[in-house]
Amino acid sequence: MKIAGEATLHAPIDRVWHALGDPAILASAIPGCERLEPAGPGTYLMTVTAGVASTEGTYSGTVRVYERQPQSSFAINANAAGVPGTLGTDVRVRLSEVDGSTLVSYDADAAVGGLIGGVGLRLLTTVLQKTADEFFAAVDNALTGNALTGNAPAARRAEAPAPRRFPPGVLVGAAAGFALGAIWGRRVR
Amino acid sequence: MKVRLVVNGVPHDADVPARRLLSDCLRHDLRLTGTHVGCEHGVCGACTVLLDGRPVRSCLLLAVSVDGQEITTVEGLAHDGALSPVQQAFADCHALQCGFCTPGFLTTITAGLRDNPHPTEEDAREMIAGNLCRCTGYQNIVAAVLKAAGP
Amino acid sequence: MTQLFGAPIPRREDRRFLTGAAGFLDDLGHDALAVALVRSPHAHARLVDIDVSGALDVAGLIAIYTYDDLAGALAEPLPLLIPHPALTHGRTAYALARDEVNHVGEPVAMVVARDRYLAEDAAERIVVSYEPLPAVVGIEAARRADRLVHDDVPGNVGANDTQAYGDVDAALASAPHRLSLDLAVERSASTPLETRGVLAEWDTESGRLRIWSSTQTATGLRAAVAAKLGLDLTNVEVITPDIGGGFGVKIVHPWPEELLVPMAARALGRPVKFTEDRGEHFVAAAHERAQLHHVEVGFDDEGRIVGLDVRFWHDHGAYTPYGVIIPIVTSTQLLGPYKPGAYRVEYDSLYTNTVIVTPYRGAGRPQGAFVMERTMDAIAHELGIDRAAVREMNFIQPDEMPYDFGLTFQDGRPLRYDSGDYPATLEKLKKLVGWDAFEMVREAARAEGRRVGIGLACYVEGTGVGPYEGGHVLIETSGKVKVATGLTTQGQGHQTVFAQIVADELGVPISDIEVVTGDTRRFPYAVGTFASRSAVMSGSAIALAARNVREKALRVAAEALEADVGDLEIVAGVVRVKGNPGAEIALGTVAVLSNPLRYAFDEASQAATQFVVGDPDKPPVADDDEPGLEGRDYYSPPHATFANGMHAVIVETDPDTAEIRILKYAVVHDCGNLINPRIVEGQIHGGVAQGVGGALYERMAYDEQGQLQNASFMDFLMPYVTEVPHGIDIDHLETPSPLNPLGVKGAGEAGVIPSAAVFASAIEDAEGVRITSMPISPSELFELRRTHEDRR
Repeated sequence: MKIAGEATLHAPIDRVWHALGDPAILASAIPGCERLEPAGPGTYLMTVTAGVASTEGTYSGTVRVYERQPQSSFAINANAAGVPGTLGTDVRVRLSEVDGSTLVSYDADAAVGGLIGGVGLRLLTTVLQKTADEFFAAVDNALTGNALTGNAPAARRAEAPAPRRFPPGVLVGAAAGFALGAIWGRRVR
Repeated sequence: MKVRLVVNGVPHDADVPARRLLSDCLRHDLRLTGTHVGCEHGVCGACTVLLDGRPVRSCLLLAVSVDGQEITTVEGLAHDGALSPVQQAFADCHALQCGFCTPGFLTTITAGLRDNPHPTEEDAREMIAGNLCRCTGYQNIVAAVLKAAGP
Repeated sequence: MTQLFGAPIPRREDRRFLTGAAGFLDDLGHDALAVALVRSPHAHARLVDIDVSGALDVAGLIAIYTYDDLAGALAEPLPLLIPHPALTHGRTAYALARDEVNHVGEPVAMVVARDRYLAEDAAERIVVSYEPLPAVVGIEAARRADRLVHDDVPGNVGANDTQAYGDVDAALASAPHRLSLDLAVERSASTPLETRGVLAEWDTESGRLRIWSSTQTATGLRAAVAAKLGLDLTNVEVITPDIGGGFGVKIVHPWPEELLVPMAARALGRPVKFTEDRGEHFVAAAHERAQLHHVEVGFDDEGRIVGLDVRFWHDHGAYTPYGVIIPIVTSTQLLGPYKPGAYRVEYDSLYTNTVIVTPYRGAGRPQGAFVMERTMDAIAHELGIDRAAVREMNFIQPDEMPYDFGLTFQDGRPLRYDSGDYPATLEKLKKLVGWDAFEMVREAARAEGRRVGIGLACYVEGTGVGPYEGGHVLIETSGKVKVATGLTTQGQGHQTVFAQIVADELGVPISDIEVVTGDTRRFPYAVGTFASRSAVMSGSAIALAARNVREKALRVAAEALEADVGDLEIVAGVVRVKGNPGAEIALGTVAVLSNPLRYAFDEASQAATQFVVGDPDKPPVADDDEPGLEGRDYYSPPHATFANGMHAVIVETDPDTAEIRILKYAVVHDCGNLINPRIVEGQIHGGVAQGVGGALYERMAYDEQGQLQNASFMDFLMPYVTEVPHGIDIDHLETPSPLNPLGVKGAGEAGVIPSAAVFASAIEDAEGVRITSMPISPSELFELRRTHEDRR
């Protein structure tokens, strides 16, 4: 199953790269994310609660990030299982600067198995697409200073914190989290 | 919404959405599958049950609208395992073939004979003129009405 | 034949139907997930996109399937069930539409949800984008072919074929008289009270699939599902529940739903059930009957047909899963009980953007009977001869049987009438309806200002087609007899009729016999219930199987009683020596003895254990024998066996409103030996009612865009009791079939075959206007009167 898409994040590329590595942003932006931990070089454990229509469940798995090119691109390989089924995915993500904003493009190849794999391709791809859109909208909100819960006072935007540098591990874990969240995140009701 | 339906003398409590048809409530919530659904638009009569004794199309009623009322279905026509006169007449006269429309006829005729215990043949035809059957051609059903009415 | 064969005993299966304890498809599977289909609203369109996002809001939604979810054989078109060399451009649908849709109602997506209400909610929110294309509706539009249903089918012609004998052109050229007729029959449909339904359970651990379907063929469905889902046949079971009528529409298989529901059950690991609703049935099941005919007939001064040339056009809808069976039946059964000097029939089977056309009780015979009987009436009118006399002039005589036309019937075998006495049948009918005295009736009515007419119509019906059916008869150690056959039941009383046969063959009380039909676990080799074949095919097979069991029972009993087989009889389930009371052994005990045991399981079975019985010098089970008391046999006919019948009707037409009333309806019917006359009569009653519907009320009203305007019981007029005759006078003739052990012929379709013809005949007789198309309603009759008046 192939899913591709793009999103525009309203910030320059270096802020986007750092946002994608900020665990606070990622943990809130990934729909249904419950846990995100490093488990060795380039590898992370993640637990997320996800659903397609009324087939919901909690999935745990491993994510590996590779081919990192800072502020440009990276690739993710993820595998996870839950009661309703299994997921394996390969994602390629590219960032490019466009007029002071950043265009994030992603290409994913996913294989879904078990019960969740039996709900029909269109449902699956529609839900995955929606979840990716939600994730990026949440990251965008964080970048532009709007609180993720939607109660963003205008004042906060003016006091947006200066970009910070994060250890590579966290950055990579965040990107992995993004990948998993985009593919499986629970649809926000 | 919670409803109480007294079906064949037995109170049943069910929690159903407001839009649940009585036919579906009987068949799927109460598991009384004797009442059948042939068209769901009130024409064929297969879904006929007696509501406080009157024949009604259960496919045209919402379960919530008959809360607290008494319903008789085909499952309630026999007594202590003995077929009612109408049921027995159907068996004697070969008035059913596939049996799908039969429950609707049985309830309709049960009420009809209660209101007119000595029908003429014309009356008998009138009594069943609102129920469709695709198998029997009606000849034996008319005979069964007259047989059930007795001498 | 002895006691129960031929007896009009009441049915044994009725109790569960009378008490609401029957198990129709929707009565099963309470915990199954529910299904709703998204269907095309266009008669012809390209499928552009399916957007399911709107459905995500529906709580309880589980799955949505489209063509993209079909893999392997499921992604290929549905099977073309009956290929034929003349069907050069056969087409079948995909289980879910792939690139285009060809009739309103064609399935596009399937929703699975917690219950039917939610499934329909979700289905409504799925947005399908189409690019509508021009639709082809009706035979004339199909023939004109300025638009095509399928781009690769020139002229919309799926098949063209001709059958003939003699030189019809020469015969017509030299005939003393000639007539032309143009006739038309409109679409109707089986419309059983129970719509279609299928329930599937997948056992994940064993990889086995169990399916219940309201189908007329359990074995056909099983094979199709196994093939399409890539399963071993032995891992698929099909069970038919009680079925609320079929009349032909449920012989089609596999319906898309019959494949998709098992697919979903497997994918989701949960039982899944589809129950069709009535509106769906009108646009997603099947129709039948629509044909146009052109007849050229040549005849002599006495009305004998010397040449009959028929050209007809058959509307088979958007796809051809059932091949060309219906036009073949029309082509051959058109001949009825007659022997035209020369005959040629040619048909085009045409595509239209409407629901598929597959057999409906009669299956092309009503159209054929209509053509021939209108022709007979036209000849009689032309020559001023009595309509019955013209027919008599053309009958095949009893001493000409068997009569071989040199044509090929719908079973691929010779059209060869085996038996029948048409003159005797007609004699009976004339007496029954008062044919000869009718002119007086007409005069008396005229004196009162009333208008009456009498009509008559004859038909021959090929019944009991093969390839075969089988029967299994088993006697348990309790003495109970278990009978199984693979074809199915939709109200024909099989559980009684087949028990009657076994009761007689074995000499057991009918109350000890239990019959199971349509369950592949009990009998896996079968064809199905259609074409009036069950009594002939399964009846014969069950009789043969019972005879095998009887033979073995007598053999085993003879040894136990130390008597000769020839001295034994079986009465009320007990084998006894004739004229020697006390020397007897119950069949149940014979069953015990027929299975040599090491381990007894009750006191009676001790009699079969190794220290009690058996010759120590011989193997316990002989080389050519098997343990147990059961028999299995098959009946496979050389060709169909031909029943016949004749109907007459007296109608009254209202001079002002043109309403049509039935005053008298008479049937003389020959289906060979009758197993249960009451059940046969019930079949005739039902058939006549459908015939009345088809003659006066039922049609499918498609508009030019291919929208079915009367897709409900409010507007598709099926007869209530008020529309059928007040009583039907029935008489029988029995010319036994020489082709099967019971001498029976099929009876299922008899009542409906000549109806359009007989009503046309009677109305024409009453009115003096030519009736060339059916059905006819009062407003159409009113119009016909007017144009008739205008022409004068």
